Amino acid sequence: MSLRMNKKAFEIQFNWIFVLVAGAAIILLFTSIVIKQKNIAETSTKSTVLKSVDAIITGASVSTDTTNIITIPNSNIEVSCNRISISGISRQYEHLILYAPSLMKGDKLITQTLTFSVPYRATNLLLVTSPQLRYIIVGSNNLAKEINKSMPAELKKEFYQNTPQIRNSNNYKVRLVLIEDMIDFPESLEKMPDNDVSAIKINGDKEKGAIEFWQKNGNSWQHKGTSSYIGKPSLIAAVYTDNIESYECNMQNTFTRLNLVTRIFVERTKKLMEKELVSIKEIRCKELYTNALFYFNKILTASLNFNDENVNKISDSAKSLASNNKDAQLNSCTLLY
Amino acid sequence: MKKQKKSQIQIGETIAVLFVFFILVTIGFIFYAKVIKGNIELEKDELSQLRSVGVAQRVMFMPEVQCSEDNVIIDNCIDILKLEAAKSLISEKELYYYDLLEFSDIKILQIYPEEAEWEIYSRKIDNFRNKFLTNVPISLYNPATRKHSFGVLAIETLSR
Repeated sequence: MSLRMNKKAFEIQFNWIFVLVAGAAIILLFTSIVIKQKNIAETSTKSTVLKSVDAIITGASVSTDTTNIITIPNSNIEVSCNRISISGISRQYEHLILYAPSLMKGDKLITQTLTFSVPYRATNLLLVTSPQLRYIIVGSNNLAKEINKSMPAELKKEFYQNTPQIRNSNNYKVRLVLIEDMIDFPESLEKMPDNDVSAIKINGDKEKGAIEFWQKNGNSWQHKGTSSYIGKPSLIAAVYTDNIESYECNMQNTFTRLNLVTRIFVERTKKLMEKELVSIKEIRCKELYTNALFYFNKILTASLNFNDENVNKISDSAKSLASNNKDAQLNSCTLLY
Repeated sequence: MKKQKKSQIQIGETIAVLFVFFILVTIGFIFYAKVIKGNIELEKDELSQLRSVGVAQRVMFMPEVQCSEDNVIIDNCIDILKLEAAKSLISEKELYYYDLLEFSDIKILQIYPEEAEWEIYSRKIDNFRNKFLTNVPISLYNPATRKHSFGVLAIETLSR
């Protein structure tokens, strides 16, 4: 009797153990599938964002002076020199022209494309930022008004003619754009992390000038370095980029592109000069082309490196080229650009 | 003996049920994997086509070849004098232009009044899986003679 009971108990127990093992195996199988699927979905979301950024970059190269608001899956996009990263997934570029803050948060991106012309179009500057980032422009001159006007209305921007009383409105980053004088560090922003509060001070006009980069250091400002800008588009680009290294890297890439485009214009002008001279008009045109070639070559040499001296050289040559082009138009010659 | 046989049959039954269950799960997975694979293939094709259109757009708007009049861009127009200079520049700086033009073969064909051909970029892969050809009708402008001609921009993109 006891032996039979024992045997039955063993059978029942064995059945339960068997069901338990089989059940555990099934649960394990499905859990591993769910985890894998979750990882795939996350990777897919990240790659979707990267693809969107890639599409934005392509779009920027084909459209000029446009502003767009793009909805993306909620993510943190990190931008550094020639690199875009989204939570571990990155894409490296050879010469990326993308002016953006080092970190963009949220599910929306604001993009702006501006033409970089000196005076002929060399490339488009792509400026990207997050609507969650706060911009504070302080200045009373025309340049301050011009900067405010050039930045899209969709941005969280504030414009003050005099030093304002700045309040903390819980933005993950705050960028101050100071035109005339540097202001004291706002007390309300003291609790924010050092990397999240930055400022630029602009000394110059619409054509060219210097930009001082500042960053929060405890309860004061720390000078990070001084760079240059040439034309309003590169000035606006400096407003979007929150660190000097990234700005200078992008400007160097912009100058590399300018150098390549200038090479084309040098060759084109040489070919225009090869034309047989029959009339007085053609002799005048050749004079103009010879003159222009000198300035094209100046830009060609100066665009090899982005620095203050070369910015001045390019700016001066650009003015002369613009005047030459106008003369070419007046004399019914083929235009230089 | 009889009881033992009955329990053996019971365990056998459970194993058989589990076996059938796992077979069904496996069949389900195979079906799911096939559907997913099909979707991935479709997405890959779509991406290749998008890339092809992207390359075509980038070529059309490159300041290296585009026509302009007092810095005003003329759409669907290629400057022949720029084109000849761009040809040698792009082949010299092939790595730089790879970022923009990827694996593709870009030709400009003049159709009327005379026939001519310029190959401005060619970077091919041997074992490609997809090949897309985009033809864009364009106007070719010669600033030296100030004459326009008719042509086609042929962009062939390759992808693995």
